[in-house]
Amino acid sequence: MVFENPLLLGAIGAGLAVGIAGLGSGIGAGITGASGAGVVAEDPNKFGTAIVFQALPQTQGLYGFLVAILILFVFKSAPEWAMLAAGIGTGLAGLSAIGQGIASAAGLGAVAEDDGIFGKAMVFSVLPETQAIYGLLVAILLLVGVFASPGVTTIAALGAGLAVGFAGLSGIGQGITAAGAIGATARDPDAMGKGLVLAVMPETFAIFGLLIAILIMLGIMF
Amino acid sequence: MRPARMNKIRAVILDEKVDPVIRQLHESGLVELYDLSTKLEDPEWNALMTPAPSAEYGRNVASLTIKVSRILDLFSNVSVGEKAGLSGVLNPKVPAKKKLSFSSSEEIISNVENVLESVEGEISEPASKLAELENRKTILEMLKDSVKYLSGFDLDLKFLGEGSYTYIVSGLVSQENMSELESSLEEATEGYVEIVKGNPVNKSEKEQKIPVIVATLKQCADVVSAELRKSGFERLDIANVEGTPSEIFNDTEKELLGIENETKAILEKLNALSKKWTEEVLVLHEVLEIEKERAEAYSMTGKTERTHLIEAWTPKKHVKKVQEIIESASEGYAVVEVSEPDEPVEKIPVMLDNAKAVKPFEMLTEMYAPPKYNEIDPTMMIMPGFLIFYGIMLTDAVYGLLLTLAGLVLWKRMGKVSNGAYNLGYILTLSGLSTVFFGILTGGYLGDFMYQFLGMDIYTTGFALVNPLGESTYISAAKPLLSLGGIDVNNGPMAILLFSIVAGIIHLFIGLTVGLKESLSKGSVLDAFLNQGMWILLILAIVATVVTGNMMIAGGAVIAVIALCMIKGFMNGGILDALLGAMDITGFLGNVLSYARLLALCLATGGLAMAVNIMAKLLGDAVPVIGILIAIVMLVFGHAFNFVMNGLGSFIHSLRLHYVEFFGQYYEGGGKRFSPFKAKREYTSN
Repeated sequence: MVFENPLLLGAIGAGLAVGIAGLGSGIGAGITGASGAGVVAEDPNKFGTAIVFQALPQTQGLYGFLVAILILFVFKSAPEWAMLAAGIGTGLAGLSAIGQGIASAAGLGAVAEDDGIFGKAMVFSVLPETQAIYGLLVAILLLVGVFASPGVTTIAALGAGLAVGFAGLSGIGQGITAAGAIGATARDPDAMGKGLVLAVMPETFAIFGLLIAILIMLGIMF
Repeated sequence: MRPARMNKIRAVILDEKVDPVIRQLHESGLVELYDLSTKLEDPEWNALMTPAPSAEYGRNVASLTIKVSRILDLFSNVSVGEKAGLSGVLNPKVPAKKKLSFSSSEEIISNVENVLESVEGEISEPASKLAELENRKTILEMLKDSVKYLSGFDLDLKFLGEGSYTYIVSGLVSQENMSELESSLEEATEGYVEIVKGNPVNKSEKEQKIPVIVATLKQCADVVSAELRKSGFERLDIANVEGTPSEIFNDTEKELLGIENETKAILEKLNALSKKWTEEVLVLHEVLEIEKERAEAYSMTGKTERTHLIEAWTPKKHVKKVQEIIESASEGYAVVEVSEPDEPVEKIPVMLDNAKAVKPFEMLTEMYAPPKYNEIDPTMMIMPGFLIFYGIMLTDAVYGLLLTLAGLVLWKRMGKVSNGAYNLGYILTLSGLSTVFFGILTGGYLGDFMYQFLGMDIYTTGFALVNPLGESTYISAAKPLLSLGGIDVNNGPMAILLFSIVAGIIHLFIGLTVGLKESLSKGSVLDAFLNQGMWILLILAIVATVVTGNMMIAGGAVIAVIALCMIKGFMNGGILDALLGAMDITGFLGNVLSYARLLALCLATGGLAMAVNIMAKLLGDAVPVIGILIAIVMLVFGHAFNFVMNGLGSFIHSLRLHYVEFFGQYYEGGGKRFSPFKAKREYTSN
C-alpha cells in the first residue's frame, strides 16, 4: 500500500507516540504526585525529593515526544509503515509509565521515612522504564533504515511496533512488584538483591516482545 | 579484592588501667568492640566473670549533656535570620578544631562544669527574663482577646466576679440561645438578674455570638452558673483588672508593645552571647558525647575481681598498632591475645578495603549491600563499567563539562564537611569526564546545536567518529564499519548497538568468570559449571560463530545449554522445574539485550537535545523581534531540563546494569558493616 503522501502514516504515528506515551506519563506522574503531596504535607523539606521521583514516570512522554520529532523532522523518508509502527511501539510501551508511577510513589514513601534508602528506591523505581526504552529502541531501528526487509517496508512493520508496545505494558506489572520490593527493602536493606530478582521477572515479557519485533524487522519469516 | 581480613583481639587488663585503654582505643578508631554480654550468660563463662556495668561517670556526663543541650536549644532559638546562603552551601566553613587533651573523665567533667558555670552566669539572667516576658505576653494576649468582645460596654471591669452582694459575669452566648437563656435566668433567680447585651460579633464564619454581662445576687450565683453552662455560655476570663474595656484594651496593647521592645533587646543580647559562646558549647557537647560513648563501652566488657576482659574486631593490618596501644596505655598491666575470627562468617564485620582512587565507589557497592566477609568486593569492578556506561548514555561534551564542574564543586567544596558529598562528587567528576570523551566521539555538543544555529555539520568533518542518528565520515553506507551475517553496520545507531551488545557480552563474561572462580572456591565443580560455566561456553560459542561465520556452533551451544538448564531444573525439583529451566536461556538473552539501553539512552539524550534546538529555532524564526530572546530562554531551560533528566537517568540505568545484570552473575552481598569504636570529632581534636 502506498499513500500519496508517505508522511500521512508518519503523522499518525507521531500523534500516537506523543498521545499514548503522554497518557501513560500523565497517569504515572499523577500517581507519584499524589504520594508526593502527602509526603510534602508531612515534611515540606521533602519537596525536592518528591520532584525527583515524579520526574521518573515523565521520561516515557519524552520518548514519545522524541520519536514524534524524529518522524516529523529527521527521518521523513523512512518507510511509511515503519513510521506508524515506530509511533505505536513507543506510545504503547510508554504506558509502562503507569507502573513506574506506582513504583516511584512507593519509593517516595520509603524515602520520606528514611533518607538513607534514596539510592535503592531510585534503582527500583527506574526498573519499569526498560519497557519504554525497548519501545524507543525498536522505533529507532525502524526509522534509521538499518533493515530494508519486507518486515519494515510493509504493513508487517506494524507487528513489530505492536509486539514491543503491548509487551511493554509488562511495565505496569513490574512497577507493582518494584513497589512491593521497595517496601521489603525499606524494612530490611539486605533484601535488595532478592527484591531485584523478583522485580526483574516481568521484564521477561518485554524481552519476548523485543525479540519478536527484531525478528519481524529482520524479515526472517518472509 | 576481598574485604579486609579481620582478627579478634582479646585483652585482659588490670582494673585501674582499663580507663586509659578504652580512651586510647576510642581515639584510634581502629577496633570494633565485641559485646560480651550474651557470651557471659553462658554458665561456663559466668563462673569466671560477670558483665561489667557502664562506667560510674556516665551519670554525671548524662546530666551535664542535658544542661548543654538546653543551652544549645536556647542559642538556636535566638539566632534567627542567619541561614547559610547558596555560597555557604557551596563553600561550607569547616569548623576550626579546638585542641583539647584530657587524661581522665574527672578532668573533663570539672572542665565542662567550669565552662558551663561562666556560660550560665552570663546567660541565665537574660534567659529567665526572656521566659518571664514570654509568659506575661501570653497572659496579656489572652486578656486582650477577651476584652475585645466587651468593647461596647461602658463598665469598670473591676466589678466582674463576686462582690459583697453581687455576682457579675461576662461571656458569649450564641444568638439562637439568647431569648431562651433570658427567660430561664429570669425564672431561676425570680427576677433578681440583669442581662446587658452587646453588639453581635462573628466568632467564626458561621456563628454569631452576643457578648453579654450578667449581674445577679450573690446567693443566686450557683443557679445562674448552672443555667449559663446549659445554654453553651462561653465565659470570658477576666480578673484583676481595672477600667472600662476600651481602656484596658489600649493599656494592654501599650504594654504588649513595651514587651516586644524589651524582648527584642534581650534577644539581641542573647544573640550576641550565642555568637560568643556557641562554638565553646558545641565543643562541650562533643566532648560529653565522646565521654558518654566511653562510659557505655564498659558495658560490653567482662569483669572479674581485679580485671576487665575486652574483646574487639580489628583489621589485620592494624593488629600491631592496637596491641601497642593496649600495652602502652595499660603500662604493661595487660595480656593481649590475637586470634583468627572464631565466629560464623555472618558475624564477622566487613570493612571494604580499596585504594584511595576507588574508595568513593564503595558507596555504590554499599547501596546494594556490602559483601559478606568471605565474598568478593565488587567495587573495583564496578568503577570502569559504571563510568563507560554513564558516558555512553549521556554522550554530550557540553553536558559532560557541566557535570564535571558540578562534581568538582561537590567533591572539593561540600566534600570537606560531608563524606557523602565527597564520594558522589568524585563519582560525578569522573562520570563527567567520561561523558566529555564520548560526547566528542559522537559529536554531541548540546545535541546538534552547531548544525542548527551555525550551519556546521560536524559529521561531514573528521571530528566526530560516530553519528548516533545517522551516517558520518567514517561510518556510512558507502563505508560500512563491518558486515555481520548479512547485516551491514553502516550507520551510527547500528554501530552503537553493536558496541552496546559487545560491551554487554564482555561485561557479562567478566561477571561470569568471577562467579565461576567463586563457585569453584566454594566447592562443587558441577555447580560451578551449571551456574556459570555453561554460559561462559555459550558466549565463547557465539564469539566463535562470529569469527568463523558458522551458525552451527552457536546453534549447537544454544541447544546444549537449554538441555543443561532442563537437567538442572529437573535435579532441583522434577518435571515442572525442568520446563521452567528451559526458560533460563531467555533470561540470558534478556541480560544481553538489556545492554541495548546504552543505545536507546544515548539516542534519547542526543535526540531530545536536538528537539530542544529545533523548537528554539522554530520559535526564534516565527516570533518577530523578541523571537531571539524566547529562543534563548527555550535553549537554556530545555537543555537544563534535558541535562538533569538524562544525567539522573544515566546514573540509575548504569547502576541498574551493574546491580541486575552484572551482580546477578556472582554477587549476593549482605555482610555486617565494620562500625569502629571511634570518637567523632568535628569541633575538637585530641
